[in-house]
This record gives sequence, structure tokens and C-alpha cells, in this order.
Amino acid sequence: MTALLELDRVRYRHATALPEALSGASLRVGRGEVVGVIGPNAAGKSTLARIACGLLAPDAGEARLSGDPMARLSRRERARRVAFLPQHQPADLVFTAREVALMGRAPHLGLWALEGERDRAIAEASLAEADVLALADRPVSQLSGGERQRVFLARAFAQQATLLVLDEPTAGLDLGHQVLLVNALRRRGREGHGALLVLHDLALAGAACDRLVLLVCGQVLAEGAPRDVLQPALLARAYGTAVDVISDPTTGQPLVAPRIAR
Amino acid sequence: MRPTAVRTALAVAVLVPVALFALFVGVAVGAGQLSLRAAWNGVEPDATVLFRLRIPRVILAAEVGAALSVAGVALQALLRNPLADPFIFGLSGGAAVGTAIFVAASGTFLGAATAAAASWSGLLPAQIAAVVGALAAALLVFTLGRARGQLAPERALLVGVVFNSFASAVVISVEAVLQPEQTQAVLLWLSGTMGYEPNGVLLSAGLLVLAPALLLTGLAGRLNLLALGDEGAASLGVDVARTRVVAFFAASVMVGVSVALTGLVGFVGLVVPHGVRMVTGPDHRVVIPASALGGAAFLVLADALSRALFRNLGMEPPVGAVTAMVGAPIFVLLLRSRR
Repeated sequence: MTALLELDRVRYRHATALPEALSGASLRVGRGEVVGVIGPNAAGKSTLARIACGLLAPDAGEARLSGDPMARLSRRERARRVAFLPQHQPADLVFTAREVALMGRAPHLGLWALEGERDRAIAEASLAEADVLALADRPVSQLSGGERQRVFLARAFAQQATLLVLDEPTAGLDLGHQVLLVNALRRRGREGHGALLVLHDLALAGAACDRLVLLVCGQVLAEGAPRDVLQPALLARAYGTAVDVISDPTTGQPLVAPRIAR
Repeated sequence: MRPTAVRTALAVAVLVPVALFALFVGVAVGAGQLSLRAAWNGVEPDATVLFRLRIPRVILAAEVGAALSVAGVALQALLRNPLADPFIFGLSGGAAVGTAIFVAASGTFLGAATAAAASWSGLLPAQIAAVVGALAAALLVFTLGRARGQLAPERALLVGVVFNSFASAVVISVEAVLQPEQTQAVLLWLSGTMGYEPNGVLLSAGLLVLAPALLLTGLAGRLNLLALGDEGAASLGVDVARTRVVAFFAASVMVGVSVALTGLVGFVGLVVPHGVRMVTGPDHRVVIPASALGGAAFLVLADALSRALFRNLGMEPPVGAVTAMVGAPIFVLLLRSRR
């Protein structure tokens, strides 16, 4: 079965004067999989996410969605297959949360871009899934940072793409809503959808993802199940600091703690 | 409940009576007394005043008001900045330089060429000069305001502001060598004056305003998505670069037509979209047609006020001065009443 997303040795340079952001990174997201990308600052995580959703075309290598080369898909077709949550969201939006969720329907609309009852129902369900239905008629500019993040998540859900690419989706989310997001991704996974997450929180990455990709200097340093990637030696090399990893006594999940001298 | 439908209904309920009222006022008010009943029955001079003067003038004001408002909405959307006005891209500076250079060059080859183009198109030479200047400035700002092959909003905004300052320096320098009466002609024209255009000009201007307005209405859904940021819009399948270019040139055509017909009428493109959004919300599919109606009504009323002032002042103040004097306080009130 073809994977939802395949990145095959992609390279990317933002400007000729800059070093390569990605130098031959590969990964795949299968159906039902939640894959996390971790790594230090400037490792190329966000660049990877943008290539994975087609916003950037790799200089070399190939990106494929369900087996089809990304470059051959139209913009709208791409937007129907992959939804992207950028790292930064506009804070001054005067549109209401409901209107923003409805914008997620754009790639599915016809020539006049008018939403139907079905689009409204999907937007409503997405708002509920992101736990912002109670704020639906408030302008986004009036919401708190975490609430706003959830509205944009609802927009990504409403797109109903089989692949979600989320760049730091838990930024600004409280613990309860982080868990809510992970559960939503798992639920989608059971329907055959996949997700690629860029994460900074290693404990959350270990708990939420089926597989992790550790990116350092534009290359994949390690890839596999969380307990295989969250190894003290690997993390110390990637982040340049000593790290302890212990197993949660009840769940067996790897828990990561930086070793900070007292 | 569908909020867009509710707001559309509200906009129609508010704006259609306002526009009809404006049309009535625009036709009924003027420097002289006019009996509409007599004019309708063909009694002179009332009939000539109504059909040759007032109605063409109201149509002109409606066209320019609609054009400036819709252009303002488009530029605000593509710059993602609610304070953008139609002249922000250096169009006002370009128009001023064009006019000033034309006046200074009268008698030379340049002046003769402009006069020839003018007699062919039915416009005044100064109108041609201003449009050429405005569109040249738009093109310049568009070229210099690009980064990585795309129109970069912040850069274009800065280039436009800098170009407008540069242009005013050029105009001041040119005016220094002009005769006083020439200077006054340039000044009056640039402050936005409304005259009487032949029907052919009104018709072609109407088409040149209607076509880009319809195009922008078609783009309205994409203009909404631009509010999500370039990446947000692009990830929803919008060709951000192409949407910006198309909206930019559609707006420039409308501003060019307005400059040709009336010089620089300020504040319409800023005040009307803000006022409209307070009723309709930010959805461009509603805001663009509503701004066309609202802008037409606003400028027709401002022009009627300017003509009514003739009785008191013994001269018509330029309509641009009226829109600025009425528009500035309204704009401040709108800003302060925003939640």
C-alpha cells in the first residue's frame, strides 16, 4: 500500500548565501500513522513540514502524496489531500472562529466559492473537535493565544485531508487540550488518516507519536519507534546536552528529562 | 443561521435606501433652483440642467466613488492592512508628477503629444498626463516592491510611501518654475474636482470600473483567505502571487479611471470600506459589492454638498476637499467606535 506521504532524499536551500536547510532527508507517513519530527533549532523541521505540504518544492529529491509526485498535483488537489497548520498564525484576524473554520472548506468549493449546508456542518464539527464551538461567533482577534491555535486546528480539520501536517500544533495549548489534540489525531488515524507533527516537547512526542524522526542539520539522525529514537546518547548528540530517559513505570512510555546541575 | 446571508440582507437593507437617497439628493441639489417636475416635462432651462448637467454629474460621482471604494478594499486585502488607501502605491504622487510635468511642458513636443492623445480620447490633456503618471508609478512600485519574484506587501507599501514623498518634492520643484496661475490649476486639479464629462466618456469609464469590480468580486473568496497569511492561503490551494498581481492591477485600473475623471479624491477608499465592514463583517464576497454601493452614495452626497456650498461660497470647493473634511472625522469616529 502506498504511503500517504513520502519524502525521498529531499534537499532545500532558502537562499544561495545560506547553508542547506535540508540535505537529503527522507521519511514516510503511512495510513493511520502519527509521525513526529523532533530536533534542535534550525535543524530544518519547518522546512521539512513546508515541503511535506507542497508549499516549497525541493531543490532535489521528490515529495509524493499517496504515490503521486507533489509537483504534478494542482494546488487545489494538493489542498484536498494535505492540510497544513503553519507555525505562526495571524493574531489580528477580524473573521470569526466559524468563518475561519469554513475557510478550510475552500479547496472543496466550486467556482463561486459559496459554502453549502454540508460545508457548514463540517466546519461546525471541526470546531467541536478542537473544543472551540463555544467561541464560534467571536472574532479570532479577541481570543487568547491557545484558543486561537485551536481555531486554526479546526480550520485544518475542516479541510478533511487524509494527511495533516502540523508545525508545532501544541504551542500555546494547555495540557488538557494537548491530550485532546493527540486523541483527535488517533481517532483520525483509525479512519486511515495520517499526521506529521513538528514537536519540541520530547515527552509529548514520545507519548503521541507512532514513529519519530530526529532531524539534525537537515539530515535524519535517527528514525523509528519513540523508545528507539529517544535514546540518551542520540539526544545528547542532537541537542548538545546531557539527557536522562526513563521508562514510565505504568505505561512504559519513554520520559525525557534534561540533566541540569543544581 | 447563516451569518453571511444575514449580513448580506442587512447590507442591502441599509445600503440600497442610502444609495437611492444619495441619487435623489445628487439630482435635486445644486447651485441653482431646479423643478424636477418642470424638467421632466421638458421645460427649459430645467430640462437641460437635469439631463445635461445634474444626471451626468451624479453618474460620474457614482462611478468614481464606487471605483475608489472597491480599489481600497482590494488593496487593503492584498496588503493585509486596513489602513491602505487607493493611492498608497504611489498613485497620487505619480498623478501629481504627471500633471505638473505636463503643465510645465506645455508648448513642447511632450505637451503636443498629450494634447493629441487627449483630443482622440475625449479627455483633457491634464487627465491623460495624470493617468499616465499614476499608472507609471503603480508599475514602478510594483517592480521595486517585489522580493523573490513576488509582490511583497511590506516592501511595496514602503516603496509607495517613499515614492509619494519623492513625488511631492518633484511637484514642488516644478511648481517653483511655473506661473502662479499654472500652479493654481495644478493644485486645484490635484485636490479632486468634478466636472461634466461627455456621455461617451461616462460610458467607457463605467465599463472600466465595472469589469475590474466584477473580477475582484470573483476573487473575493481568495481575498478572504489571504487574511490567513501567505502560507495559510497557499495551503488552501490559493495561488497567492497571482491573486495579488490580479487584484493589484484591477485596483490600479479603477484608480487610474478615477484619477483621469476627478484628480485625487481622498478618503473615499479608506472611510467607505471601514464603514461597510462595520455593517457586513469582513467577508469580501459581501464587502466588495457593498462598498461599490456605499462609495457611489458617499461621493454623490459629497459632490452635492460641494455644489450646494456654491451658493454660500460663490465657488465650488473641490470635491476632494469635501471628502477629506467629511471623511477624516468620520474615519476617526469609526476607529474609536470599533470594539
